[in-house]
Amino acid sequence: MRRLALAILAVFGASALLTADQRQSAPEKYTLATGIPCIYQKDAVSPTTVVGLFIAGGKSAVPPGLDGLAAVATRLLLEIPDESKVRDLMAQATRLSYVCLEDGSVILVECLTENIEEALRVAAKIVQDPLVSGLRVGRAKELMAANAKIEDDDAVAAGRNAALKALFGGRGYGSALYGTEPGLKSIDRKDVLAFIRRFVVKPNVFFFVETDLEWDSLRRLLETAFDAFPDGPAAEIPRQEPVLPEDRDVLVLKDAKQTYIGRAYALPRTGLKDMAEGYLLETLLGKGPGSRLWTLRADKRLAYGVDADLTWMKSAGVLIAYIETGRAKSPEAGAALDRVLSALRDDGVTEEELAATRTMARARFLRATEAKSPRLRTLGLFEVLGHGPEGAIGILEEIEAVTSASLNEYIKDALAPERALRLTVGPAGAGRSPGGLTCPD
Amino acid sequence: MKIVPGGTAARGWRQAELEVPAPYATLAADPLEGVVMIRDLRKAIAAWAGLIAAFWLAALPLLSAEPSRYFVLDNGLKVFLYEKRDVPLLHVVTGFDVGSKDETDETSGLVHLLEHCLLFRGTAARSGAEVGADVRRHGAYFNGNTGQDLSVFEISLPSEYADFALRNQKDILFGLDLVQEELDGEKEIILEEFSQMEDDPERNAADLVLQDLFPGHAYGRSVYGNREVIAAASAAELKAFHRTFFVADNCALAVVGDFDVADMERRVREIFGPLPKTGFAPRSLPMAVPLKKSVSRRLERDVAEGYLYLGFAAPDYNHPDRYAMSVLSEALGRGVNPLLTSFLHSQRDSVQSVSMTYLPFRFGGAAIVSVKADARDVAAIERAAVSFLKKARDASYSKKDYMGAEAELAAFDYLEMAKNQIRFASGQAEEHGLQLAGSLARHMLLNTRADPGRYLDGIGAVDSGDLRKAAARYLSRGEVAAVTIIPGRGKK
Repeated sequence: MRRLALAILAVFGASALLTADQRQSAPEKYTLATGIPCIYQKDAVSPTTVVGLFIAGGKSAVPPGLDGLAAVATRLLLEIPDESKVRDLMAQATRLSYVCLEDGSVILVECLTENIEEALRVAAKIVQDPLVSGLRVGRAKELMAANAKIEDDDAVAAGRNAALKALFGGRGYGSALYGTEPGLKSIDRKDVLAFIRRFVVKPNVFFFVETDLEWDSLRRLLETAFDAFPDGPAAEIPRQEPVLPEDRDVLVLKDAKQTYIGRAYALPRTGLKDMAEGYLLETLLGKGPGSRLWTLRADKRLAYGVDADLTWMKSAGVLIAYIETGRAKSPEAGAALDRVLSALRDDGVTEEELAATRTMARARFLRATEAKSPRLRTLGLFEVLGHGPEGAIGILEEIEAVTSASLNEYIKDALAPERALRLTVGPAGAGRSPGGLTCPD
Repeated sequence: MKIVPGGTAARGWRQAELEVPAPYATLAADPLEGVVMIRDLRKAIAAWAGLIAAFWLAALPLLSAEPSRYFVLDNGLKVFLYEKRDVPLLHVVTGFDVGSKDETDETSGLVHLLEHCLLFRGTAARSGAEVGADVRRHGAYFNGNTGQDLSVFEISLPSEYADFALRNQKDILFGLDLVQEELDGEKEIILEEFSQMEDDPERNAADLVLQDLFPGHAYGRSVYGNREVIAAASAAELKAFHRTFFVADNCALAVVGDFDVADMERRVREIFGPLPKTGFAPRSLPMAVPLKKSVSRRLERDVAEGYLYLGFAAPDYNHPDRYAMSVLSEALGRGVNPLLTSFLHSQRDSVQSVSMTYLPFRFGGAAIVSVKADARDVAAIERAAVSFLKKARDASYSKKDYMGAEAELAAFDYLEMAKNQIRFASGQAEEHGLQLAGSLARHMLLNTRADPGRYLDGIGAVDSGDLRKAAARYLSRGEVAAVTIIPGRGKK
């Protein structure tokens, strides 16, 4: 732990996470008496606590044809059968929520710290002994179907989902988070129970807690509340590599004023150095004024929305660079987007641009970890990906170590035109240039 | 740069305030027992929540033990400094008392256009590209937003660049030098933003419901403005607008972050002190009045779900009913399984999410209810929601509203829940330096009370009788503006 604290200080400077008044400590990893790992970080900035229960599996563990199973199962972990308990939580303004991810799910308990004991007691009871009836499974499936519709109404979400589906053949990472109509129809109670019994067991979970409580107090509460967590074997999930489909043009039809045009790239390596270079590339391409894509907005006047978005999974990253533009401008915008990507790949970055990008990336990371809840999610992701919470420090160290030569090599590889997937969300014919689909190669 | 009613973050340019790794960008609202699923943190944070936190937080720093200082420069510029030293970041928010309320039909959209030009089209000293490069070199998140009342500009960066942050904001906000060619470039981008907003059912409905709620009042003008006015705008016109409103005595500056208050005061005085005092007097408007007759509009779009927005007139920022209205909105439609949400779920299974938001403006206010549900049920849900809200004046909100020990025990205390939600949200918001700075800047510009007191004290003093009175005044008597967006033909 001492090494971690020193590393944080070295990266952030003396006033960083470990502050003079000790209000925020570095994250520390413990194992509870129950055998469940717990990452704890004290943060006394506010009187609130966020507890995340990270559960392995997620989309990566969804069997073919059962799209939406991970989300349905995670949702059912939060069924509270006792009305009076629901009311207690409501009165205390305690929030139970869940997020379903590519490599796992997270159950979040957020509350005023004064109410943490009751919040954990209720959460533990339902998670350790979930109520999975046929009726509740049916209701959860209806919810997921509605969630899927809402997500379809967002072009950026639709583009990202289409990219994952294409790169992973519609399975695992590429399955629909909230399910498809046939997928949800196929899910029954026994599928949900099997999923829960496989993943909601000691070897497949860990806690991450951001709180103003001292460790000893928190430990006692967690050990008391979660004293009956089921045992079971560690889940083996086959590694799923991205595969570029034969047809690299993905069109999602949508009758809208704007067309989303994206280029998606699978980034095959997931070491900390690769993540640091990926983070720099995402920042360089799409984050804020002066980014490479910004020119499509500021100079070419092609769009209001330009961005780059990077998703990390255990086996790969997926980078999407996109522009949202008016229907009439879409052929020109697609070609301009390709030119920006080609130029970056061909010419690389200068030392000056790398220095600015490095500063931007570090500041982005600080902002992403300023508040408890997003910090828990960010650092928890490093643990999920196998880098531990200290991966957050590792990536900052790697960002400092990246040279223009190594980044340019990474960019050449990452943005290889033969690996690009061309995404369009918009009306039929959108994004096409007169000679057919624009293509970076 | 980004606008939604009330002037907070919108989808648009996706450098989110909170940048969360993409795997977490998955969300869903879930009507069962108040469980919430996070689908798109950026979007969720964007639309309403930031604004709510902004108003919740207005007086929060005054409660804290952290060093803070409020002062007014000789030129009239109001300043609030607040140390938050847990992370080596600095957040600077500069607000001006100018928004769509200050436009006319002939100038509708110019404040938003001006906001874009200030951020991205350069100054007398630097081109837009040079500003962008400077901002990037210092690792800054850089943005602005336009609302009905205010225009707000924010920069967030490592605290070692404090001097740059202050000088950059002063230069872009007070040093505009706009040429027509640059303006024409920005107009095209604004028109793209228009289209993006119209493609987004939630942003579109939110914009329209406020237009319909305040007909004939300045708040009834879209913050996005009028396409024709924007297309015809000249650089001279914009510069005149800028000279009038972007002056020190119409400005508030909030700085939150890792700095020493005394040192920061010295820097602020040195950098902003030389700006001239102009004698500017902010415009006073008549208070917005409730609708005389309910209005409803229905739009068909290429969407999969149905979207319903209802708007009611509500108290203004300085009105004594503001506290009760804040608590009432929580009890009815925010947080964990509130009253309206429970009721609508009991009426229709397809109700996907329900949210009620209170927007206190300077010269009026709005309570906005938003519902997502199966499009086939939206009309019935609209009737049920309006009927329920009109009866909210008779509801029991607290255990104390019940007679006898047994009844009291069985009753659920929505009042306590609502107050705890506000306390929790205040605690959470104190973790976000940029949000905190935004709250402070807005409060300095919107507050007209000599001693507004501590916000959480005001919330704490609200009782269930106050909630019923607020419901009677704002939900039961006033008529409602309704906007529905449903799938077009062939998509139902």
